[in-house]
Order: sequence, then structure tokens, then C-alpha cells
Amino acid sequence: MSAPGYHVLVVEDDPHLAAGVVENLRAEGYAVDTVNDGRKAVEWFDSHRSDLIVLDVMLPGMDGFAVCSTLRGRGTTTPVLFLTARGDAADRIHGLEAGGDDYLAKPFHLQEFLLRVRAILRRWDWYRASALTQGSDVLKFAGNEVDFRAFRGRSWNGEEQELTEKEAMILKVLAEKPGEIVSREDLLEKVWGYDVFPSTRTVDNFILRLRKRFERDPANPSHFLTVWGVGYRFLSGEQS
Amino acid sequence: MKRLRAFQITVLLLVTVAAVQDGYWLFDQHVRGAEKTQGLIKLYDQQRAASRAMLEAGVPVARVKALFPDLSVSAERVVVAPERQAAMLNEQQRRFTQYSWEGGFFLFALCACIGAIFVALRAETRVLNEQEQFLALVSHQFKTPLASLQLSLETMNLRQLPPERSRALMDRMLADLTRMESMVGQILDSSRLSHGRMELKREPVLLDATVSRVVSQYLERAQTDHISIESQVPAQLQVLADPIAVDAVVRNVLENALAAVAPVGGGKVTLIARAVGTEIELAVRDSGIGFRPSDHEQLFRKFSRLNAGAGSSYYGTGLGLFIVQRLMQLSGGRVSASSEGLGSGAQFLLHWPAEQT
Repeated sequence: MSAPGYHVLVVEDDPHLAAGVVENLRAEGYAVDTVNDGRKAVEWFDSHRSDLIVLDVMLPGMDGFAVCSTLRGRGTTTPVLFLTARGDAADRIHGLEAGGDDYLAKPFHLQEFLLRVRAILRRWDWYRASALTQGSDVLKFAGNEVDFRAFRGRSWNGEEQELTEKEAMILKVLAEKPGEIVSREDLLEKVWGYDVFPSTRTVDNFILRLRKRFERDPANPSHFLTVWGVGYRFLSGEQS
Repeated sequence: MKRLRAFQITVLLLVTVAAVQDGYWLFDQHVRGAEKTQGLIKLYDQQRAASRAMLEAGVPVARVKALFPDLSVSAERVVVAPERQAAMLNEQQRRFTQYSWEGGFFLFALCACIGAIFVALRAETRVLNEQEQFLALVSHQFKTPLASLQLSLETMNLRQLPPERSRALMDRMLADLTRMESMVGQILDSSRLSHGRMELKREPVLLDATVSRVVSQYLERAQTDHISIESQVPAQLQVLADPIAVDAVVRNVLENALAAVAPVGGGKVTLIARAVGTEIELAVRDSGIGFRPSDHEQLFRKFSRLNAGAGSSYYGTGLGLFIVQRLMQLSGGRVSASSEGLGSGAQFLLHWPAEQT
């Protein structure tokens, strides 16, 4: 498969593993750079951009979770695929809370790794492309405004909102089908892709966060409606 | 942790119950003593009344005295004999003191037993924690070379590679296997050393030959990590120790030095030996990450890994320096480490008894 234009940064301190990952990504057509230290990875983003970070957790300088949190704090929205020897549920959740997009435990299967890389990039492609094809990156509804490219918004009361990429992606999926029911599984598939989370309840938590940001009365929502047992329906001001 | 908490609660209950029981014993003894004293006072009152009646009836004093030996009888007055009165009070005090001591001893013995059990339990918990930590660490350390191994194999399986690429992958796999083998060796050594199952020989060992051999095995890796290794070991220096132990010590200290230098992007490791009195000293200096002087104690502890994550690719199991210290102790030598702080490099000094020629 050729993957023109995509750049992947591999942050891994084990030289053998890093070399294996880099070789395979290059063979798939990705442009790849590699860094073997957590701090250097953060510094790398001062002067470079990437489409994906493959990030080890146990790193010299700064651990992978801290690298991810730091980058997110600085506004870097590049998706992160964690690669780590620590693969228990608590660790996976920690990684995703730090702003990671996917998690692969070592030792991993090469094809699964490549598939996950592809899936993350495909999701981001969809997100960026759909933001552009709709003619505008900005969604306006009932006095709220969301800029999908900047991951920023303003709620009906004038309050500035900074969205996480997951919140923005969920909103994007819902806003693409106004008035239609979108199942939790569809949201998971489009936003997370794989079996990253053990439960679809995770989606519910993100919907709650969106309600707090954009609903006048989050307890009685008029835009992010729950369809019991199925999923959610988004209504812009006009429909509601 | 749960076991320790349950133990602490049980101990607290036991001590509380025992203290209450002790208090009750003392109170009960006090009440019984008081009752007994009151009974005696009543008895003496009755005896005094009877003796007075007998004296008034004209019974001779001597006869009354003989009938009531606990009373001091004279023609004028009848009172309880002072020695009986003192004995009565003494008896009450004696029993109270006896029960106080017995109760105190009982409490002390109970606390001592609980203390002994607590120490044993804490030691067991520490061992369990260490084992748990060890398993987590070992599995983590094994997973990295294992992942690299799997990746190399799957790469060969997935792609059509030119022969030179296949050869490079095979070399990488062999190196990963060597890493894993070295880890297994360390784990076994540490287990034997911990249980005192390692018997060391004492024979003259040429330090120069050992250092040269070990250094040559690490030159390639050092080159990859931009580290230069220099050794100055006079040819005639001989230490009195087990040759395998000397090899393991030099290997582990050198490996530790390389692991400390690699994360800073390269540097220098020097090994300098000299005779100092009846000992041979080998100083291993590196320009690596160093350590805080306050972390000195932790360095040689089992599973201790300062700067977690730093150079994790080479850090193995966290057993290397533990093995060095134990082997040096068993060889009649010693090891010490110093650093001026993080980023200032470190020095390890190894002292073996010298072979007297």
C-alpha cells in the first residue's frame, strides 16, 4: 500500500524495535522520523509537523503519557498510537485520558499495527476532508459556534470553548446527519475505530461533555438528544 | 496491603480487649480485696464485742486472749492486734500488686508476640511486593526484545526482502535473543546470590585479560551509541577471586556505565586499574546521566532502577548492581559508587584482594 504525503513520528528508545517499526512504515509508503527520548519528542514538534505519533510509554527523559499530555496542552492535535509493554486496562485508559487515540501492547502483530496506523489516519482524513467539503469548517447552531479545524468554539453565552479532538470528531459525526439517529457503535467506529474502549458508555461521557459546553440546560438537552437503547440524535436550533 | 490492614485491625482489637481484661482483673481484685478486708473488720468487731462481754462477765484476760489471738486484749481496752491490722492491709496491697504485674506482663507478652508477627508479616509482604514488582519488571523487560523479535519475523514473513536485508534482520533477532539470554542469566545469578547458593573459588585472575575480553564484547554496542571505551589495566595485576565472578562484575559495571551514557547521546567510559596496598582497585568512570548523591543507597538494591525509563532498552532487570555488590562481598572485596549529581557522570570503584606474589 502506498501512503503518499503521510508523515509518522516514531518515538521509541529501543533501537531494534524502532528500526523494525520505521522500516515497515517506510515500506508502506509513509515518511518517517524517529526520536528516542520523550523530551526530544516534545521539542521535535517545535519545528516539525506530523500526521501520526507512534509513542512508546517507557521513555528516557519523559514518559509517553507525559509527552502526549504536554503536546495536547500545547494544542498539538496529531493523533497518537501508544506502543507499550504495559497493556493492562488501567494503563490503556490512562493513555487514552492523556490524549492518545489508540493503544497497542507489545509484543504486537505487524499487520495489526499497520492496520491501526491506517485506521487512525483514515479517521483523521475523514475529519479533515469532511470539514473542507462542506464548504465551511465552522458549525453554527442555536447561538453556538464550533470551528472544527481549530478545535475551538463559542457557546451560546459567549464562553470560549476548547474542544478535544474526540469531542470535535463526535460533534462532526452527529452534525453530518442532523436529525438522524447515530448509534453508539457508529460513533465508536468512526471516532475511535477499534476495540480501544471496553464499553460504549464512553461515548455517553463525551456527549455529556458536549451538552455541558453547548446546551442551555444540559439536564434537558435540546441539541444532543439521547435515543434510549440506540444512540444519539443531533438537532440544530432550526429543527429543535 | 489488605492482609497488613486486617492484621493491624486484629492487633488493635486484641490489645484493646487485653487491656480491658487487665483493667477488669485489677478492678475485680480491688473490689474483692476491699470486701475481704471489710469481712475481716466485721469479724474483728464481733470478736471485740464478744471479748468485752466476756471481760465484763469476769472471764480472766488471759483466757480471753487465748480465745481471740487476733485481738490485743487488756483489762482497759480490746483492739485488733497491730500486726493483724498491718497483715490485713498488706495482703490487700500484695494481691493488687501481684495482679498488676501479672496483667502488665501478660500485656507485654501479647504486644511482643504481636510485634514479632508484625515484623514477620511485613517482611513477607515486602518479599511478595518485590516478587510482584520483579515479575512486572521482568515481563516488561522481556516484552521489548520479544516485540522486536516478533516484528523482525513478521517483517520477513510479510515482505520479499533482498538477502542483505534478511541477513540484517537475522542479526537483529540474534542480538535480541542474546539480550534475553543475558536477562535470564542475571535473574538466575541474582536468585543464587540471594539464597547463598553460589560457591566462589579463590584463585589468581589476570584483571587485564578479563577487562579486555569484556570490553571487546561491548565495543560494537558502544560504537552504535557513540560511546568510547578506554581501559588502562597494567598487565601484571592479579586479583584473588573467582574468574567467573570477576567477569560478571566487570560485565555488569560496564553494562551499567554504557546504559548511563547512551541516553545522553554518547560519551566516554574509562576503566583504570591500580594496586592499592593489598588490594587491586578498578575505577569505572562514565560521562552519563549520573545519580543524585541521595540515591546512592538505592543503587545496589535489588530491582532498583534510578531514572526510571532512562536507557530502558539496556537497563535489563534492575539486578546488575545488586549482583555486583553480592559477588564483591563473596569475593572478599567491595564496591562503591559516587556521582556529583544528575548529568555529572558516575564512578564505580571495585576493590579485590590482590594476589600476593
